[in-house]
Amino acid sequence: MVFSSIPFLFFFLPFCLILYYGAPYGWKNKVLLLASLTFYAWGEPVYILLMFFATAVDYCNGRLMEKYGSTEGRRRFFLICSIVINLSVLAFFKYADFLILTVNKLFSISIRPLGLGLPVGISFFTFQTMSYSIDLYRKQVSVEKNYWNYLTYVSMFPQLVAGPIVRYSTVNEELRKRRIKREEVEEGLIRLMQGLFKKVLIANQAGALWEEIRLLETGRVSVATAWLGATAFTLQLYFDFSAYSDMAIGMGRMLGFHFPENFNYPLSSISVTDFWRRWHISLSTWFRDYVYIPLGGNRKGMIKHLRNMLVVWFLTGLWHGASWNFVLWGLYYGILLVLEKYVWGKALEALPKICRHFYALFIVVVGFVIFVFDNMSDLGNYFLSMAGLGGNALWGEECVWYLQNYKVVLTAAVVLSFPVYPWIKKEAGRMESKGKAVVSILSMAGYILLFLVTTAFLVNDTYNPFLYFRF
Amino acid sequence: MEGLKKQMEKVQGRGWWIKGLTAWLLGAMTIILMVFFFLSDKKEFSENENRYLGKVPVFSLDKVKSGEYMNDLEAYMADHFPFRDFFMGVKAKAEMAVGKKEINGIYVARDGFLIEEYKKPENTERVGRILKDFAKELEGQDVGLRLMLVPTAVYVYEDKLPDHAPARNQMETAEQIYSISGIIPIDCSGDLIAHKEEGELYYKTDHHWTTLGAYVGYQSYCREMGIDAVSLEEMTAQTVTEDFCGTVYSKAGDYDRTGDAITIYTNPSDCLKVEYMDTGEVSDSLYNLEYVDGKDKYSLFLNNLHPLIEVTNEGADSVRELVLVKDSYANSMVPFLAHHYKKIYIFDTRYYKQGVSAFIKEHPAITDVLVLYNMNTLDSDLGIRGIY
Repeated sequence: MVFSSIPFLFFFLPFCLILYYGAPYGWKNKVLLLASLTFYAWGEPVYILLMFFATAVDYCNGRLMEKYGSTEGRRRFFLICSIVINLSVLAFFKYADFLILTVNKLFSISIRPLGLGLPVGISFFTFQTMSYSIDLYRKQVSVEKNYWNYLTYVSMFPQLVAGPIVRYSTVNEELRKRRIKREEVEEGLIRLMQGLFKKVLIANQAGALWEEIRLLETGRVSVATAWLGATAFTLQLYFDFSAYSDMAIGMGRMLGFHFPENFNYPLSSISVTDFWRRWHISLSTWFRDYVYIPLGGNRKGMIKHLRNMLVVWFLTGLWHGASWNFVLWGLYYGILLVLEKYVWGKALEALPKICRHFYALFIVVVGFVIFVFDNMSDLGNYFLSMAGLGGNALWGEECVWYLQNYKVVLTAAVVLSFPVYPWIKKEAGRMESKGKAVVSILSMAGYILLFLVTTAFLVNDTYNPFLYFRF
Repeated sequence: MEGLKKQMEKVQGRGWWIKGLTAWLLGAMTIILMVFFFLSDKKEFSENENRYLGKVPVFSLDKVKSGEYMNDLEAYMADHFPFRDFFMGVKAKAEMAVGKKEINGIYVARDGFLIEEYKKPENTERVGRILKDFAKELEGQDVGLRLMLVPTAVYVYEDKLPDHAPARNQMETAEQIYSISGIIPIDCSGDLIAHKEEGELYYKTDHHWTTLGAYVGYQSYCREMGIDAVSLEEMTAQTVTEDFCGTVYSKAGDYDRTGDAITIYTNPSDCLKVEYMDTGEVSDSLYNLEYVDGKDKYSLFLNNLHPLIEVTNEGADSVRELVLVKDSYANSMVPFLAHHYKKIYIFDTRYYKQGVSAFIKEHPAITDVLVLYNMNTLDSDLGIRGIY
């Protein structure tokens, strides 16, 4: 059940919220847990056992670490247990076939792939449970004594499938004690709607454009169209993913939780370094805190720094999916970040800001082309089209056609990729304080109109794929 | 000063109040739609989409385990969403409002035409080889085999497509299939283009050709076969409906459009016996006008789809017998062809599974075999696989 679907929005969510708000305070966590388990079992009726297992492992490890962890060595033992088990689960379900296929290719043998389906959200919840064990080992959080509480944290439906990767330390207090305020519920709902509009009206439409272009015969794609396609995919990915985060954060607030922000206008970055401070923040900070810094970060000399970058970006790439193109995509960023730090960072800063925007966007768009093709020859062909080396024209009529059809969506997407909305909100606030309620009324009308149109798209939509199920 | 501050708070409070109201209104709309879902009568069949809607799935543990139960339940919720047709219309209007000229794979073309796009063909080789195998099966039989691949509106009315619309050339694909299959082609695309200004050769709201379009196709066939085509003047025309809103109309979802007229022709000198071999029905007409009252009006030609139909014409101008292997495009051409054949066996290979070539071998009286498909369904539904 994806968030942007009729069953979720018009049945599951209202039903859960009515129960949740109706339940007495002491029962709210139970309702939430039940709702989350239903949500997960809905999509993964069998693999839900895996989530019970993963959470039980970390819960027990935590308890044991607390009880028997009198020495550093023992604490470390339990930590290693937790990490090994979590990574094994992840490796088995997500990477086993990838490994088998790679080994087969390398040694020209034929081990049969396991053909297991990828359990939804596994990449997210294993990282969450690991963050708990590591924080506990570092004594940054105290032990969770109630398994159901712990399971509620990991399984919480708004963030279960597509993040943000909420750490235990972020929500452990709210798990025990939270206030559900009317204004928070209202703001959360507005945030949820914003995410929904972004997903349905922008991400899905940009995605439809990308699908059209990707299916064109290689010779028919002009250079302009190839770049338009890559841009459309970039916008799709950003709006899709950030919309899911918006919806998660919004629903979290409606339930009384505060999840971290996951995106900060990454497409308005002025460098690669800047981009990764703004894109999927909960993942990059996870790797920073639990891999990069423990390895020594950049404080142990250039050689070690290079090694650390290599490791972190190899893993970041691999996390996105069990395929070589994701690894390539990760390493691409690792190398560019190193180059930016040691080679052209200073020169870059001297450039006018507009040039830096274009520099960052160029890298990001090219990067997402690597991201989208898991077949290397398709990737190569597409790059040839983008470079004009595929025997294709510079400009074609089809490009005019796509621009004409998607001009409004693309314009809206580009504008909203920059921090325009906060600015409008601020200006609107100023107008309001001058007594002009007209802005508020207009915005209300806008929300209602968008809600109707979004519902119309959902009703019509057979086109509602969810990109992140591969994670 | 104090007063001003109070004033400020009051005004800010108002803005806030409206923002809160927005949230409550959105929430209320959601819940109202949910309530409507539970209270509304559930339709079994969607006329507009021409399909059966999802039913409440039967609960079983196996179905839950495989996820099938949940999928069916989701489909049920989506299919019976309240005001479904209204929302479909809103979507089309919204897309047109932002300047989209293509909605759900349908071009919003000039002169009121809705024209289905031609997707990149995926099965050209395969279709060609299937036809080649079919031709091989018939080697040694004394029958004249012809292949007629009919372009759809996107080819003939290319000039009506919105500006810059990327049009793939269907007839290039057809040429490839002709050459792979090695069957003698009957190409009606040139005739269709030559006659396209004389009347509407395709429906504005449906993916089929009109009776007029079928007549042009019939003329091409007659010319190639050396038959004297019956002129339209010799036949009786009857306009049976003027509000046929077909498949592309439903797909696009712009419900403000007016429908098409359907005209049918009968040859007074024909004396027909039409047998539907699957249902056992027998009729003296190639039309079933009961369909005029429904949504799917094109089905009035040859009573919709049947695996095998036998048409006997005592008033035919020859004793030749024809096997027609076809999709629904042929349904509106048969009324013209019928005059020239004592017997026509009409096969829909999507449903006829006993092998057409075997049938031909068992019936030595058969003199001609025509394979007729339109270029869109040929590639997309691969019904042609059932040909041998």
